[in-house]
Formats: sequence, C-alpha cells, structure tokens
Amino acid sequence: MPEEKYIVETVNLVKRFGDVVALKGVNFKVRVNEIVGLVGDNGAGKSTLVKILAGVYAPTEGEIIIKGQRFKRLTPRKAYELGIVLVHQERTLSENHTIWRNIFMGRELTGPLGFLKISEMRERAQKLLKEIGLKAIPPDFPVKYLSGGYKQGVQITRALCFEADLVILDEPTIQLSLAEVQRVLEYVRELKKRGKSSIFISHNIYHVYPVADKFVILDRGRIVGEFLKKDLTPDDLSHIMISIARTGRVPPEYREINLISS
Amino acid sequence: MGKRSVLPKQLKTPYFTGITAKYKLQIAILAIFLMLWLIFFAINPSGFSNPYTYTAMFSVAPFTIIPALSLTYVIILGEIDLSFPSVMALGALVLTLTWKTFGPTPLGLLLALSAGLLAGLLNGILITKFQIPSLIATIGTMFLWRGFILVVTQGYGIPLGEYRGLPIYEMLVGRIGIIPVQIIWTVIIALVLWVILNFHKFGAYVYYTGDNRIAAKMLGINTDKVIISVYMIHGAIAAFAGVLATLEMATFWPALGEIYLMKSIASVIVGGTPVTGGIGTIFGTFIGGLILELIETGILAVGVTGFWIRLVHGLVIIIALIAQVLIRRSEMRRMRVVE
Ligand SMILES: Nc1ncnc2c1ncn2[C@@H]1O[C@H](COP(=O)(O)OP(=O)(O)OP(=O)(O)O)[C@@H](O)[C@H]1O
Ligand SMILES: [Mg+2]
Repeated sequence: MPEEKYIVETVNLVKRFGDVVALKGVNFKVRVNEIVGLVGDNGAGKSTLVKILAGVYAPTEGEIIIKGQRFKRLTPRKAYELGIVLVHQERTLSENHTIWRNIFMGRELTGPLGFLKISEMRERAQKLLKEIGLKAIPPDFPVKYLSGGYKQGVQITRALCFEADLVILDEPTIQLSLAEVQRVLEYVRELKKRGKSSIFISHNIYHVYPVADKFVILDRGRIVGEFLKKDLTPDDLSHIMISIARTGRVPPEYREINLISS
Repeated sequence: MGKRSVLPKQLKTPYFTGITAKYKLQIAILAIFLMLWLIFFAINPSGFSNPYTYTAMFSVAPFTIIPALSLTYVIILGEIDLSFPSVMALGALVLTLTWKTFGPTPLGLLLALSAGLLAGLLNGILITKFQIPSLIATIGTMFLWRGFILVVTQGYGIPLGEYRGLPIYEMLVGRIGIIPVQIIWTVIIALVLWVILNFHKFGAYVYYTGDNRIAAKMLGINTDKVIISVYMIHGAIAAFAGVLATLEMATFWPALGEIYLMKSIASVIVGGTPVTGGIGTIFGTFIGGLILELIETGILAVGVTGFWIRLVHGLVIIIALIAQVLIRRSEMRRMRVVE
C-alpha cells in the first residue's frame, strides 16, 4: 500500500438537518502530521463537519476517505478504530470518576474475563499525564474538581493514550483563562511532535494561529478559503475573517494565496 | 485570599492517602447503622444480645436487600425500576408451578431465573429501543406481571410446605446452625455485584452510562446494551429473591413483593446512591437495607407497636439524606477546582 498523503479526506460532503443545510459540498483534507485550523463564524458548520469525521453524524451525501478507505458513513466506534478521536465542544468526560478512568473510558485495559487492569491503567495514565504536563495531578483525582483547561488536558491525554492518528479539538480553548489556553496550545504542539495530525477549531484566531500549519475557513456550509500559515500573519487572517463575515468573500488581495479558487 | 497556589491545596492534603476521606459517605452510613444498633441495644439489652433476634432479622432481610443490590445498578444508570416486586412474584410463581408439575428440581430455579431475565429484557427494550422513561415503562410491566400472576392463580396462594427439608429447599432457605442460608446468598450476591461494579469493565460502563450517557456513547460504549443487561441481571436477581421469600414462607402468595418496593428503593437511597445516577455503592445499599431491617426488628423488640416502624423509617431516611448532602457539600468546598 502506498504511503497515504492524507489522513482524512472528504468528498462533496453534504449534511442536512431538516431544512437547514449545514454542509453544502465540502471537500476537506488533512495531511499526515498536519495541524489544520478550522475557523468560521457561528453556525458555519465546523462542528457538524468534525462530528461526521468522528462518526457522530452520518452525512446526507458525499464520502469520507480515511487512510485510503472510503466510507459512506462512520460510527463512533469505527472512527475510533480508524484512529480518529474527537475532543468535543461538549465534554466527553464522566465527571464523577477519576482521571485514569476517564482516560481509558471506552477502551479499558482488561485481563481475562474482562476484569480491569487497574494498576496498569493508573500507571500509564500517570506517565501520559506527566508527558503532557499534567504531572501535578494524581490519576485518582475526580475529574469534576478539575478546571476547564485540565479537563481538556484529560481529553487530549485520552487521545494520546488511544494512539489516535487524528485528534480533533472542537473549541478546546473556550471559557479558559489565558494561562490555560497556553497550556492547551502546548498539548496540541505535543501532538504534532508525536507525529499526529490534528484539527483545531476555534473562534479565536489568535488561539489557532500559533499552532496551525494551515487554515481552512468555513462559511455557511462551504469552504471559502484555505491558506498556509507561511503566507499569512494573524492580522491577515483576522482581516480575511471579518471580510468573509461582511461580504461572504475572501478579499481580492488574498485570492492569489487562497488554495481554494473561486 | 489571593490567587490559588500553583500546587493545588487539596493535593497537599491527604485526600487520597486517608481512607476515611475517600469512603466518608460509606463510613457515615455504617455509623448510622451502629448508632441505631446501640440505641436499640440500650433500650432492650436482653433482646439484642439474643442471637435469635438476628436469626429472625437475617431470615427476612434478604428479601429487601437482594433486589436492592441489583436495583443499585439500575439507579446508578440514572434509571428506576418499579416492576421488580412483580418480577419477584413472577419468578416465585414459575418455580412453584414447575415444582408442582415436574417435582422440586433445579429446573424450577432455572426457569424462575429465566423468567426474571426475560422480564428484565422487556424493561430494557422498552427503555432503550422505545425510549420510554423507565419510571413509566416499569409501571407498565409492574401491572403486566402482577396481572398475569393474578389471572393465573385467581388470587389464591399455593402452599409449598411439602418440599421443606429437601436438599434444594434447604440450600436456598435452610439454616446452618442458627444462620439463615438466605443471608449467605445475600452476601454472595453483594460480593459479586461489588466486584463487577468496581473491578470489571461492565461495572465501569454502568457508571459511565449513568454519569454521562452522551459521552459514553461517543466513546463507543453501547449504552443500550449496558442498560438492557442491567435490567436483565436485576430481573434475574429479583426473581431469585422472590423464590427465597416464597420458600421461606412455604407458600406462594400472589401479592408477593409489594411490601419490598419502597423498602428496597429506600435501602439504595439510604445507602448513598443518588437518584441522579453516575455514582453509588453496593456496600452502601447493603448497609442501607440492614438499617431498615434493624429498625423493624428493633421496634418490635422494644415492644412498641409496629405502627412506629414507618415513622422511624421515614426519620432515618431523611437523616441519612441530610447527612449525605452535608458530606458532599463539605467535599465540594474542600476540593475547589484545580487550576
Ligand atoms: N443536531 C442538529 N440539529 C439541527 N440543526 C443542527 C444540528 N447541529 C447543527 N445544526 C445546524 O447546523 C448549522 C451548523 O452548525 P454547527 O454546530 O456545525 O456550527 P459551528 O460552526 O460549529 O458553530 P459554533 O461556532 O457556534 O460552534 C447551524 O445552523 C446549526 O443550527
Ligand atoms: Mg461548534
């Protein structure tokens, strides 16, 4: 099998919710070991797109290609098995339970008869937490007493633990303090160092900019812009976003570097 | 107070080294039990130093506690079951009829447990596949099975005294010395359910399904399967409890189980499992059930009328609930968010 250039690719993805068309033919690609900043206004369809990749929603039309395999739809379990982990906007944590239990949630290490290998999971959790910079917290700590940034950290640690190839972060920095945002950005850089790919969704381009290699701009269900980081400053990106919000188009001076021709 | 320190305060406190802090709630429940026992002992020392008082208590306590143990799983799921008293009677009826037809063999027990499994399966399917709230669904099946039993028996009891003394009978509700065998079954069931809940993948899924069902689903846990399985286990265990109760009384009564509905639910609640789901313990339920039984035994032994039982039950339930709220609040205060 040839080395796949893209970890994930969508072909003319359409998603309707009743009368609402959330995605209108989206061709979206993520390369291996690339961090894609997925940006766009409220309701642009960002969450819908990544939920399709994670098997939460089935697309109305179109296809998903993952590591060269084509799918009409995925299930959460299938996406998992293919190495895609979604760190949701809504938290996928069992808050009343410990950090180590949350890290292994749904993928417990078990011995014969399905009994949990508790000490092994605790140790691995501790090691991973340390690697990602959460070492101050013992793995027996209940998740509900962690702050938002740490909770994101636990979810990202989970993704690492599952050896995910593509970690999708939907608004991981929302409602976080400045210091915590920095911490989350560190987690994302850690993913990149480990050769993983990532999709990072945020309203705040100053959060996305430092970590992303490429920016994809979604507007009302369509991809209207795709830019490489090396071609843009954060202010350029901000300018483009504002212009799209006002006029629905990428300003003419940036069309040259837009990888989407329109 | 300024900014929070870098190393969170609560990590320096011995929260995780101190067993007492981690199991505070369970210790509190145990303390309530011991306190009640001391009170009763002080009022009636001769009654409570007589081993037969405990024989009497442990011969009937299982019928409340056994269904409460598996009900704990249901409540951890964030669901409820009102049909288990009817399922107790259903299991007992199946055993009774099988024994009357084919003789007193393990087949009767096997069929009784199967009936419990099927009743649980029906509850589970109504709740997951038809998305009927468990409160409503199990009201339906509660009437269904009770009605079925009344139609079949025409409301008459069926005596089973002739089987007394047979090995199978003695294995289920006999006495080992002065120890009723059914309390040993209770302890075995409690241990198995405790081990599964704490050390098995299935137990973990029960907790996650109750704590955050959407998250559990998104992480690939088949929550419907978990819910159906829990109701089936609960059904089988309720049927078993019904068999024990019937054999202990040596008569099948069509109304069997009805008195255990509220008592079993109360055992779970007193035991510290909140109806909101996600958390809860088998140990708590076990002690919770013992508390309610102790009150019954104690009030009768003290010599006042049985009418006091309900009143004291009510008081103790309320006290236990308040204690739980206070313990959870103090934990919340101490465990402020780590940043
Ligand atoms: N489950 C759903 N049912 C109906 N409509 C939905 C559903 N999910 C999303 N939509 C609609 O689809 C459109 C895209 O929503 P989506 O959540 O994908 O946007 P988003 O880019 O993630 O926005 P935000 O930045 O607010 O998170 C919106 O109009 C939204 O109302
Ligand atoms: Mg969104």
